[in-house]
Amino acid sequence: MKRTYLGEFEEVVLLTVAVLNEKAYGVAITDELDRQTGRSVSISAVHAALSRLQEKGMLYSHMGDATAERGGRRKRLFTVTALGSRTLHDIRSMRDQLWNSIEPNALPTIGLAGS
Amino acid sequence: MLRPPPRFADRLLEWFCAPHLLEEVQGDLYERYVRDLQRSGTSKANRKYWLNVLRFFRPFALKRQSSDYQLNFFGNPVMLRNYLKIAWRNMIQHKSFSAINIMGLALGMATSLLIYLWIQDEFSVDAYHANGPQLYTVMERQFFDGKIEASPSTPALLAEELEKVFPEIEHAASLSWEQTFTFAVGDKLNKEIGRSAGASWFTMFSFPLLAGKAETALAAPNNIAISRKLAQNYFGSPQEAMGKSIRLDNTADYQVSAVFEDIPANSSETYDYVLPWQDFLQRNEWLKDWGSNAPVARIQLRTDRNGVSADPAKLEAKMKTFLKRYNPSIGKEKFDIQLFLQPYQDAYLYSNFKNGYQSGGRIEYVRLAGIVAAFILLIACINFMNLATARSVKRAREVGVRKVVGAARSLLIGQFIGEALLLTTIALVIALVLTALLLPAFNSLTNKQISFPLINASFWITLLGMTLITGFIAGSYPALVLSSLNPIRVLKGTLRFGAGARLFRQGLVVFQFSLSILLIIGTIIVYRQIGFIQTTNLGFDRENLIYLKGEGELATNYTAFKQELLQKPGIQSVTYMDGSPTNTFGSTRNVQWPGKNPTSTLMFQFSTVDYDFTKTLKVNVTGRDFSRDFGMDSTTFLINETAARRIGYQQAIGKQLTLWGKTGNIIGVMKDFHQNSLHQAIEPMIVKLSPKSDRKSIIVRTQPGQSKQALASLESVWQQFNPKFPFTYTFADQAFQKLYRSETIIGTLANYFAFLAIFISCLGLFGLAAFMAEQRTKEIGLRKVLGASVASVVALLSVDFLKLVLVAILIASPLGWYAMKQWLQEFAYKIDIEWWMFPLAGLVAVCIALLTISFQSIKAALMNPVKSLRSE
Repeated sequence: MKRTYLGEFEEVVLLTVAVLNEKAYGVAITDELDRQTGRSVSISAVHAALSRLQEKGMLYSHMGDATAERGGRRKRLFTVTALGSRTLHDIRSMRDQLWNSIEPNALPTIGLAGS
Repeated sequence: MLRPPPRFADRLLEWFCAPHLLEEVQGDLYERYVRDLQRSGTSKANRKYWLNVLRFFRPFALKRQSSDYQLNFFGNPVMLRNYLKIAWRNMIQHKSFSAINIMGLALGMATSLLIYLWIQDEFSVDAYHANGPQLYTVMERQFFDGKIEASPSTPALLAEELEKVFPEIEHAASLSWEQTFTFAVGDKLNKEIGRSAGASWFTMFSFPLLAGKAETALAAPNNIAISRKLAQNYFGSPQEAMGKSIRLDNTADYQVSAVFEDIPANSSETYDYVLPWQDFLQRNEWLKDWGSNAPVARIQLRTDRNGVSADPAKLEAKMKTFLKRYNPSIGKEKFDIQLFLQPYQDAYLYSNFKNGYQSGGRIEYVRLAGIVAAFILLIACINFMNLATARSVKRAREVGVRKVVGAARSLLIGQFIGEALLLTTIALVIALVLTALLLPAFNSLTNKQISFPLINASFWITLLGMTLITGFIAGSYPALVLSSLNPIRVLKGTLRFGAGARLFRQGLVVFQFSLSILLIIGTIIVYRQIGFIQTTNLGFDRENLIYLKGEGELATNYTAFKQELLQKPGIQSVTYMDGSPTNTFGSTRNVQWPGKNPTSTLMFQFSTVDYDFTKTLKVNVTGRDFSRDFGMDSTTFLINETAARRIGYQQAIGKQLTLWGKTGNIIGVMKDFHQNSLHQAIEPMIVKLSPKSDRKSIIVRTQPGQSKQALASLESVWQQFNPKFPFTYTFADQAFQKLYRSETIIGTLANYFAFLAIFISCLGLFGLAAFMAEQRTKEIGLRKVLGASVASVVALLSVDFLKLVLVAILIASPLGWYAMKQWLQEFAYKIDIEWWMFPLAGLVAVCIALLTISFQSIKAALMNPVKSLRSE
C-alpha cells in the first residue's frame, strides 16, 4: 500500500486538527494536545508539524479573524483535506486490521477496568 | 491595554522569521503570553516568551518563501535565458566578428598558457628538495687587479672543513664538474656522464634512493651510486645492481652502493652516477692544495628543534675571511678572496654576477616572457574591446529597449560582462586544445619536458583566473559605456558617440601596434646578432674540425695514433690541447716577464698543445709554430695578440716569458681567436708544447668535403688503438652552436611571438576596417556617384588606420632601441643598432596593416553604388 508517510507526531497533530474542527490554529492545537494526551509541546514544534503537513497536502489553511489578545493579528485556521482524511483512515484501518489479527491470548493481560 | 511581551524578543522574531509566517506565529505567541501573564506573573511569562521565540529558530521558520518575481543572485532564470539567447544570436549573426574575437582571444590565451607553463617549469627547477630552504652554495668573491669577481669554484677541501668548523652547518658536500668515464660491465661498454660528490650528498638533496642508504652511499672510496637508467642498462634492475662492480676507464673497479631515481628534467645539474669525494681527490692530486679552485661546495644549515634554521647572514659574516687561514697568499698584494652564500634554489634563475654581486640571470628572461605573455593577451583583449565598441551603435537600440522596460544598469553591465565571459570561455576551450597540440613542438623548441598539467589544481585555478580577468577586461568598456546610454536619445536615434570613444579606440589600436612593432624590432636585432655570431671570424676555422677525447691507449700511444691517422684518407692534420678551442681550458696568474708591474695579477688563458696546433686550427701566426726542426721547443711559448698587447711587447718574438718559474722565449704571436662564446672578450693566452696527451682533446682537421672518409678512417684507427673505449667524437661546429643555444631559442621564440602579436593585432584591424566600411557604405556610394575613383576611396578608408600605425612606430622605436641595447650589453662582441632597423620594423607593420585593411577597403570601393544607396 502506497501512501504518504506520516510521523507519529504529525499523525497526532492531524487528528487534533480534526478534533478542533474549523477552530484549529497553533495555540488551540497545542492546548488540545496537552489536554487530550498530556503531552506538553512547544508552539514552534506544532507550527513546524503544521507546515510540514500542509506541504504534504494533508492540511488546508486560511486566515481567520484577529483578536485583541493577539495584538490584532489574524489566526491561521487549518482544516483537514481529503488526502489528510484518507491518510488518517488508512492508518486507522491498518491498525484495526493488525489488532484484529492478534489472537485473544497473544498479548499479556493487563488489568482492564470494568471487564 | 494589555501588557506587551519583551520588545527585544519580538524584534528578534520579526527579524529571523519568514515574512509569510510572521503574522500567525507572532499572534500565537502573543496569545500564549497573555495566558502566561495571568497564570504565572510577568517575569516568568517574559522568560517563557523568550524561550518560545528562540524555539522558532528552525529551518521552516527561517526559510523565505520563493516568489516568481523575486530576483536571486544570478537574476531571474527567464532573463538569464534571454541574455544567453541574445548573446548566441549576436554571435551567429556576426559570424566574422565573433570568429575574429574568439580566434584572437584563443591564440592569445594559448600563447600565454604556453609561456605560463614554461615560467612554471623554470621556477620548479631545483625547487623540489625537502631541505631546499636550508641549502646554500658557498661562493668566492675574488678581489684582484682592482676588479671584483664572483665565482662558484672553491677549494676542493672547503666543504669538509666548513662542516667541522661551523656548528651552524649541518651537512656540507662538494660537487665536481661533469666527468665522462667509460663503463665496462661484462661485455657492455659505454661512455657515461657523472660527477663526484661529498659523502652527505644524498642526505642533503632529495634524490629518492631505490636501493642503498643515503648515509652510506658514498662512504668508501670505491663506492659508486648510479641512476635507475644505468642500473637497468647494465644490471637489469636497481636491486640487482647493488654490490655489483663496474670497471671505469678500464683501470679501476667500483662497487654499486646505491641506486638513485633518474635526476628529474627540472634539475640544473644532471648526472648518471656519483663517485665518492676521496676518489675524486685521489685522481686530482692538485686539488688537495688550498690554492686550487674547481668544484662547487654546498652546505645545509642546521635547523633547531622548532624547525627554525640558522641565520645565513650571520654565518656568512663569520666565514667571510675563512680562507685566509688556509691560503696565506690571500690578503697580500691587493689580492683577496671572501666567501659568501647563495641560496641553492635561487642559483638557477639568479646566476649572473657583476662586479662580484648578484645581477639577475635567467630570471630576466622569465620576467620578459611573463611580460610578453601579458601583452599578447592584452592585445587580444583590445581586439575584443575595439570590435565591441565599434559595434555598440548597433546594440545601443537593444540597450535602450531594455532600459525602457526596466533593466537596471547593473543588470546591463552584468549582461555584457557575461557575454564577454561566454566568448572567453569558448576561446579558452580552443586555447586549451591548441596548447595541448603545440606542447610537444614547444618542448622541443625550448628543450624542456613540460607535460600538460591536467590534474594540477593550481593550473586550473590559473585558467579560471585568466578567463575571469580576460573576460572582465574585454567586456569592461562595452559594459560600462553601453549601460550608461540615455534610453531616450538612443531610441530617438539621435545618439552619436563622441570623439572620446573614437579616441579611445584609436588609442587601443596604437597600443596594439606599438607592442607588435616592439616585438618586430626585437626579432630583427636578435636575428642580426645571431647572424653576427654565426658569421664572425672566430680567428680559427671551425669547419671540418673534429674533437676526440684523449683517453685509454690514446693517452700513452698518441704519437703512433697520430702517425697512423695521417696515413689515412681524408685526414689533414692532428693535434691536441686542453679543453677545446671554444671552451675555456685553464688559466693562471703565475706569469712573469721583464718589466712586469709587481702589483699586476693579469690572468692568462693557458693550454698545453701538440705540434701542428696552429696548422690544425688554421690560426695565423707571425713568427713560427712549434716545430720538430728546432730542438728547444719544450721551453718556448706561443702567445696571442692580446697577450702581447697586455704585456706591452711591440715586438714579442724572441722576448722572454716566465711561466711557473720556467723561463723561455716567445717564438710566435697567434692572431686572436675566440676562446669562449662571444659573450666574453678575448683574453690573453699562452700556449706551451707538452708531450703528455692524457685527458686532452685530440683535434683532427679533415679534408674539406671528405668528412665521410675521414670519419671512417678515424673509427678504424680508433678501433685499432683503443678498443676498450667506444668511438665518440664531436664536430667543432656543433660544439660552437651549443654555446648559443639559449640565444637561438630566444631568437626563434621572439620570431613566433612577434608573428603572433602582429597577427592578433591585424585580426582586430581587419574587424575594425570591416566595420568602418560598413558604416560608410552610403558615403562611399555617394562619393562614387559623384565621380570618385576606386583608388581615392581605398585611400580614404586606409589613411585613418595608417596614421595610427605611424604613431605606433614613433612610440615603439625608442622603447625598442632601449630594450635591445640592454640585451646586447650581454655580449662582448655585438652588432650596432642601426637607424634603418626601426623604419624597417615600421615598414613591415605598415605593409601588414595595409594588406589587412585593403581587403575590406577595396571590397567597399568596388561596391555598386546603386546597391548601397538603395538599401535603407
